[in-house]
Amino acid sequence: MAAVNSYAETPQERYQGNTPAAAPPSKQPLPAAKSVDTQSVLKRLQSELMSLMMSGDPGISAFPEEDNIFCWKGTITGSKDTVFEGTEYKLSLSFPNDYPFKPPKVKFETACFHPNVDIYGNICLDILQDKWSSAYDVRTILLSIQSLLGEPNTSSPLNTQAAQLWSNQEEYRKMVEKLYKPPTA
Amino acid sequence: MAEPAPAPAEADLRDAAVDEIVRGHAGFCSATDSLLSGSGDLSAGADLIAHACSLCKHGLLSFVRDHFLRALEESFERNGSLKFWQHFEPYSEFSLLESKSLIHDDEVQRVLCNALEEISSEKHYQEKCLSILVHALQSFEGDSSQGKHDAEADRIFLFSKYQLAVSSILMASLPQCFPEILHWYFKRRLEEISTMMDDGIDSPDKDDMDLDDKSMCIKAGEMDIDEGYHQGKFLDEVVKNIGKVVRDLRGLGFTSMTEDAYASAIFLLLKAKVHNLAGDDFRSSILGAVKGWIQAVPLRFFKALLSYLGDSYDYDSPSSGLKSPLASRPSSCYPGIDAPSEGLVRWQLRLEYFAYETLQDLRIAKLFEIIVDYPDSAPAIEDLKQCLEYTGQHSKLVKSFISALQYRLLTAGASTNDILHQYVSTIKALRTIDPAGVFLEAVGEPIREYLRGRKDTIKCIVTMLTDGSGGSPDGTGNAGDSLLEELNRDEESQENSVFEDGFNSDDKQAWENAASWEPDPVEADPLKGSRNQRKVDILGMIVGIIGSKDQLVNEYRVMLAEKLLNKSDYDIDSEIRTLELLKIHFGESSMLKCEIMLNDLIDSKRTNGNIKATINKNSQTSADLEDNGFSLDNLDSTIISSNFWPPIQEETFNLPEPVDQLLSDYARRYNEIKTPRKLLWKKNIGTVKLELQFEDREMQFTVAPLHAAIIMQFQDQKSWTSKNLAIAMGVPVDVLNRRISFWISKGIITESVGSDSDDRIFSLLESRADTSRNGGNTECFEEPLAGDEEGENSVASSEDQLRKEMTVYEKYIVGMLTNFGSMALDRIHNTLKMFCVADPPYDKSLQQLQSFLSSLVVEEKLELRDGMFCLKK
Repeated sequence: MAAVNSYAETPQERYQGNTPAAAPPSKQPLPAAKSVDTQSVLKRLQSELMSLMMSGDPGISAFPEEDNIFCWKGTITGSKDTVFEGTEYKLSLSFPNDYPFKPPKVKFETACFHPNVDIYGNICLDILQDKWSSAYDVRTILLSIQSLLGEPNTSSPLNTQAAQLWSNQEEYRKMVEKLYKPPTA
Repeated sequence: MAEPAPAPAEADLRDAAVDEIVRGHAGFCSATDSLLSGSGDLSAGADLIAHACSLCKHGLLSFVRDHFLRALEESFERNGSLKFWQHFEPYSEFSLLESKSLIHDDEVQRVLCNALEEISSEKHYQEKCLSILVHALQSFEGDSSQGKHDAEADRIFLFSKYQLAVSSILMASLPQCFPEILHWYFKRRLEEISTMMDDGIDSPDKDDMDLDDKSMCIKAGEMDIDEGYHQGKFLDEVVKNIGKVVRDLRGLGFTSMTEDAYASAIFLLLKAKVHNLAGDDFRSSILGAVKGWIQAVPLRFFKALLSYLGDSYDYDSPSSGLKSPLASRPSSCYPGIDAPSEGLVRWQLRLEYFAYETLQDLRIAKLFEIIVDYPDSAPAIEDLKQCLEYTGQHSKLVKSFISALQYRLLTAGASTNDILHQYVSTIKALRTIDPAGVFLEAVGEPIREYLRGRKDTIKCIVTMLTDGSGGSPDGTGNAGDSLLEELNRDEESQENSVFEDGFNSDDKQAWENAASWEPDPVEADPLKGSRNQRKVDILGMIVGIIGSKDQLVNEYRVMLAEKLLNKSDYDIDSEIRTLELLKIHFGESSMLKCEIMLNDLIDSKRTNGNIKATINKNSQTSADLEDNGFSLDNLDSTIISSNFWPPIQEETFNLPEPVDQLLSDYARRYNEIKTPRKLLWKKNIGTVKLELQFEDREMQFTVAPLHAAIIMQFQDQKSWTSKNLAIAMGVPVDVLNRRISFWISKGIITESVGSDSDDRIFSLLESRADTSRNGGNTECFEEPLAGDEEGENSVASSEDQLRKEMTVYEKYIVGMLTNFGSMALDRIHNTLKMFCVADPPYDKSLQQLQSFLSSLVVEEKLELRDGMFCLKK
């Protein structure tokens, strides 16, 4: 630690000693770059919203909350011919400042009885963790989660009970119906 | 009875004195009785004086006074008041009788006069008795050598005591009906005077007319100075009668009741007069007539009455307990002075104020109708203005007018044009009353609010603005005329201010503004912008309905495009003028596109001429075409810069071969002249003048190109099936069926069912015999815009444009409602503003969004619950 510190201090000392006037600009670029970033993130999110609205994919939707484009609410309906047919789930998506280089945090707001969703709504999905790529966008995330509902990964479950029950689709359906609470507005 | 302390004297003297007192007392009492009961016989007066003197000698002065007054009081109650009221007993249910009209004018008058005369004579007699007593007391006091002044004071004191007693007796026994009778009596008398005066006003008019033609206008003014002799005499007589009654009543202490009665009678009469004069005719000013009438009738009555009463009125002042509560007291009037007395002036002011208020209320109640007839009803508005200046009840006007508007104008049944017209009239009319525009602001707001909710508002406004001079002279151009006129006037005033005084016009203007400054009316709302904004500008107020001038300009552009595209003669003078006027108001930059459109027309004219002048030499085909009757002489093109024009609706179809050839020749020549530009024809737009020749007749039409193309197909082949014709034309069958109905309705083509059930056969009716069978008749038709009557315009309307833009937002709205459940209008608006920033950014007003959302509700895409929108499940 000490070594790092001294290393960090040294250039500063040197700058100050030689060209004091140049010192502030050396500090300045950092926040400026950040604000440019925020601007581009904003642009990206706006265009994602635009394409999501225009695509009109059935069963998925998301929209930024009232005053913050970094926090979105999402809605997914269970696909036809799966045990989740006829259910609707609310999600929350929160985008980091360095989006799309980091994935957004996505959680279920509505309780979801699913092998890869824990009781807090956390989702175990590879593209939201290590397999994330900046080529993904809100629409692909939502579509992935929608398909995850019908095709869970039972080998590494967050909800073991759900994983065990998955093989019995009829019982699973009953369980989903029992635990499903339709979101209120 | 209080015995005064005996004088210190001898005992026998005291006895003699007691004797004398007892005798004097008995004598005084009996003399009093006989004097008061003996009707008209004053012979007991001498006794009374003697006994009174003897009693007074013994210091019994106050006893004498008290006893005599009490006796008078009792006697008056018995002989005067009781009898007086008995006269009126038959009228105890006066209001009931009146409502059944069982009252006979003469009878009531006679009863009232008789009763008053009787009681007055009774009172007069008693007063005489009282003066005897006064005399006695005076003679005693003269003996005892007291000051004359005290005697006079005594007299006044006694008479006022008596007066008070009389009025309190009468008041205490007043029957309920008496004020009503008085009121009725005065009403009748005043009506009599009024009718007589009206006759009087009329008859000298006629006389004067012969002598002097121009005296009509000054008639009312000079009435009170110079009047007909006989009329004055009659008036004096009536007033004398009334004056007598009034004087008697005053004598009895009914001063204030009398005044109430005749004041209310006059006001009633005045009100009736105002209503009668005002009526429902708003085309003439009646304020002058009302004022004249006030001068001629009520004031003359007062003048006569006051001068009659003047001499006999003095004794009112001592009985000051019964002063009139009304502001003016005729007692302050002295007779024989020509200048209007203070009382008269006060009455005049009261009457005028009352007249102003009555007229104002009357006009305010009818303001809606007045404004409907506005330019004609200007005199009524002027009257109202003067009334309001006097009374200051502007807020009453605003309140009443707004409720009238809401009840009568802002309803689904009223057409937008009517509402706009009324709005403009309102602005003009109220500008007279209220130049600052403060009340106009309050009144105009509900109308604006309502108009914003109507879909065709913008269209109507633009039509009003632009039609009129250049548009259709026979159409609904009235409103347009006035608006254009307004624009013109503004233009002129601007020109004036520029050219009038050269360089220092600004200073002059500023000085004029400063000089004409008036404080805002008290009702002005300080929140509602500065004074400049409140300057009444009709166009500005109309644009204010829409909210932004851009929408108006856009709508104007669409209408202008429509108009220009249907022109065949490049004559755009009136459009240029309108555009120049609009530029003044909306600025050059916002009218730029329209200006380019007009320039396109000008260029087209030149280019068209150029092409036609040079093409004939170069084209080989022209000779062939001329044989067919298609020559370039008959072709005029409008070349538009489509970037600056509103989107134009495309409709493709096959033109007849020769015409197509003509068009491509034309286009080629254009390309040669204007390389590298090329013409792209919009074949469905424009007009075609046709002459159809049949075996026995010729017919002329002006139609849309598609109609012309259809009828051209029948030139060589008299009968088509709808399918074949559609293929030949290159249009869908349903479009063809719709368009061909125009020719069917003209009786030129007939329709019959073909072999196939959904295939129809159209055939040409060649001769008139066939035609008449089908109901066609006239030879010459002018159908300026056949496309219009089917509601198909060549230019996409701004509504359609808006609708198209809104569909983008629909997706956003659905998106947000999916995720947030239900949202209020405001929140949807704000969310759209925040997130819908891409192309095109959200720039609609709250009203536009609201109407769009409501249309989604109608389409059952959304639901509206408790002011929140949500998706329809």
